[in-house]
Amino acid sequence: MTLHANNLHVSVGDKALLTDVSLTVNPGDRIAVLGSNGAGKSTLLNCLTGERRLDQGAVWLNKRLINGHDPQASSKADNDPRARARCMAVMPQNVTLAFPLRVHEVVAMGRSPHQDEAMTRHWQRDAMRLMDVWHLRDREYPRLSGGEQQRTQMARVLVQIWECRETTGEGHYLLLDECFSAADPAHQHTIMDKVGEFATAGVGVVAVMHDMALAAAWADRVVLLKNGEVVASGPVELLTMTQVLQNVYDLPYLLAHHYARNNRHWLARNPGDLVGADEPSAVLFGS
Amino acid sequence: MTIKADAVTVKGEALTVNGTNIKLTEPLIKRLTHGQAWWSALSRQGPRSGGLVACLLVFCLCLLTALWSLMTGPMELQSNDLWRALGNVVQGQPVAGSADWVIRELRLPRVMLAMVVGAGLAVAGCVTQGVFRNPLADPGLIGVSSGAALAAVAVIVLSATWLEGWKGLTGPWALPLAAFCGGLIVTLVIYRLGTRDGQTQVALLLLAGIAINVLAGAATGILTYLADDQQLRDMTFWSMGSLANGRSAEITAATCLIAVPLFVSISRARVLNAMLMGEQVARHLGYSIQRDKRLLLACAALMVGAGVAISGMIGFIGLVVPHLLRLVIGPDHRLLLPLSALSGAWLLLIADTLARTLMAPADLPVGLVMAVIGGPVFLVLLIQQSRRWL
Repeated sequence: MTLHANNLHVSVGDKALLTDVSLTVNPGDRIAVLGSNGAGKSTLLNCLTGERRLDQGAVWLNKRLINGHDPQASSKADNDPRARARCMAVMPQNVTLAFPLRVHEVVAMGRSPHQDEAMTRHWQRDAMRLMDVWHLRDREYPRLSGGEQQRTQMARVLVQIWECRETTGEGHYLLLDECFSAADPAHQHTIMDKVGEFATAGVGVVAVMHDMALAAAWADRVVLLKNGEVVASGPVELLTMTQVLQNVYDLPYLLAHHYARNNRHWLARNPGDLVGADEPSAVLFGS
Repeated sequence: MTIKADAVTVKGEALTVNGTNIKLTEPLIKRLTHGQAWWSALSRQGPRSGGLVACLLVFCLCLLTALWSLMTGPMELQSNDLWRALGNVVQGQPVAGSADWVIRELRLPRVMLAMVVGAGLAVAGCVTQGVFRNPLADPGLIGVSSGAALAAVAVIVLSATWLEGWKGLTGPWALPLAAFCGGLIVTLVIYRLGTRDGQTQVALLLLAGIAINVLAGAATGILTYLADDQQLRDMTFWSMGSLANGRSAEITAATCLIAVPLFVSISRARVLNAMLMGEQVARHLGYSIQRDKRLLLACAALMVGAGVAISGMIGFIGLVVPHLLRLVIGPDHRLLLPLSALSGAWLLLIADTLARTLMAPADLPVGLVMAVIGGPVFLVLLIQQSRRWL
C-alpha cells in the first residue's frame, strides 16, 4: 500500500520541469516538499494526482498505474478516476467558485466520489469543526476571507477520506499544495497538527510548503527540490543543516545559518514519528 | 438538562432567563449553539424534501397553465369541450366537431411544443453556464442558437440543390439534426476560443459569441437571397421564433431529441456541481472531466438544435430561468436542472399563450415576447458581472 512515483521526467518545450524525481509515500508518512519558486513542487504534486502527463516514469497508487509516460499506457492509466478519488484527496492552492455555494455545501462535495453526502453529515460536521469553520457553515463561500476559504477547502478534502478515522488510514493519501498560504500562524500550526493526526491514523501525507518553520515543526521527511531535481531528501533534520539550505535556496551563508538555527527550534516542537524515533536522525541533528 | 424558558433576553455578554442572569461562558455558548444548530442548518439547506416540493409545485403550475392555455384563444370554448377533447385524445377517438378539432389539432400540439422546447432551452442554458462556469454563457448569446439556425436554413434553402440527399435521408429529423450539427460546431469553436487552461475567459467568450452571431446572421441573410418564394415563407419565422409551425411528426422528433439529452444532463448533475469549483478540483473528486464536458456540451447543442429547428430562435430562456432559480434555490445542479426544465417549460408556455392571445387573431412571434422579458434581466446580469469582473 504505497503511492510510488518512479523516475518522473516532465518538460515543457525544451525546459525541464522535473528531472528524474522518485518518491515513495508509505502509510503514515508526513512528507514536506520544499524548494524555491519554480522548483517544480506543484508540478510534482500534479504528477502524483495524474493530471499532468509524464514524459518518462510512472506513478503507482496502491499498485495501480495512475500516470504513465507511454501514450498507450496512459490511456489505460487512471481508468477508474472515482476509485482514485476515494483514496486520494488533493487540496489545490486556491479554489474559486463559479456560483456562490454555502460552506456546508462545499464541504459536502468532498463526499461526491462516494456519493453518500446525505449519509455522512456527521462526518461533514466533524470536519468543519476540526477546521474551525463550523460557525461559518451557512455563509457563502465567495464572501469568506482567503484563510477561511482555505480552511473550508481543507474540510472538504479531509471529509473525502474521513472513513480512515473510523478504521485505518492505510492506502489513503492526502496531497496538500501550499494550502495554508493565506491562513494565520495559529491556524497554520493547529491545522497541520490535525493533518498530522490523519498521518498517525495511517494516511500518507505529502505537503508542498513554503514555510520551513512549519515543515520543521510538522514533517518527518522532507524532499528538497531545485530546478526540477531532488537536491536532498531524507529526515526532517536536513532542514537544520546550513549547507543544505544554502544549496537549495541559494542563500548566503549567514542567512542559511540563521534559518537552520531557527528550524532547530521548530524541530523541538515536532511530535516526531514513533516508528522512526530510533533512526540516525539524531546524528544529523548534531552535525 | 432542559430549561423551560419563558422570557429570554440577550444583552451583550449577559443572558437573562426567567429573570435570572446567566453569564455566557464559552462552554455554555457551545452547548447553546451547537446542539440543535446542525440539523436546523441542514433543514435550511433541505436539498431533498424542499426540492421535491418545489418541483411538484412548478409541475402543478405547468399543468394548470397548460389547461388555461388550451382554453384561451380566438375561439371561445366551454370547459366541458376541453374535458371531452382531452378524453378523446386519451381514448384515441377520431376528431369530432370543431371544438375538438381546435383543441386537438391546433392548441394541444402547440402547448406540448412550448413545454418541450422551453424545458430543453432552459436546461441547455443551465448546462452551458455550468460548463463554462459563467452565468452569461447562454447558448443564444455565445452563438450556438444562430449556428443551429444557420444550419437549418441551409437545409431549407439548399435541399433542392447542394444538400439534395439530406432531406430525403432523414425526413422530419432533417432539420433538427442539421441544427444540432450547426450548434455543435459553434460550441466546439467557442470552447476552443474561450477556454485557456480550464479557465473560461468570459469577455473572450462573449465577444466570440458576438462574432459568430454576426457571421451566422450574414450567412443566413445570403441564403435568404438564394431562397425562392416558398422557402422564404418557411424561413420568416426563424428570425423571430414561433411555435405556430409545428406538425405532429416534427413535434415527435423534437420531443425525442430534447428528452434524451435532458435526462442525460440531469444524470450528470454531480459533475456540474463538482465543476463549480473548477476542473482541477472536479478531477480530484474523481470525474473524467474531458469526457463529461464533451458529453454535456453535445447534449446542450442537441437540445438547442432541436428547439431551433422547430421553433426558430427563442432567446433568453436559457439565460433567465437558471439565473433566477439560482437566486432562489442556490447552485446545486441536482435540483437546479430538473427545476430549470419545469420552469423553462412553464415560462415558454406562458409566453406563447400571451403571444397568440395578446393581439388575436394576429400571432406574435414568441421570440419577441421572450426578448421583452429577457432583455432587462440580461442587462441586470451584465451590471452585476461588471461589478465583479471589471
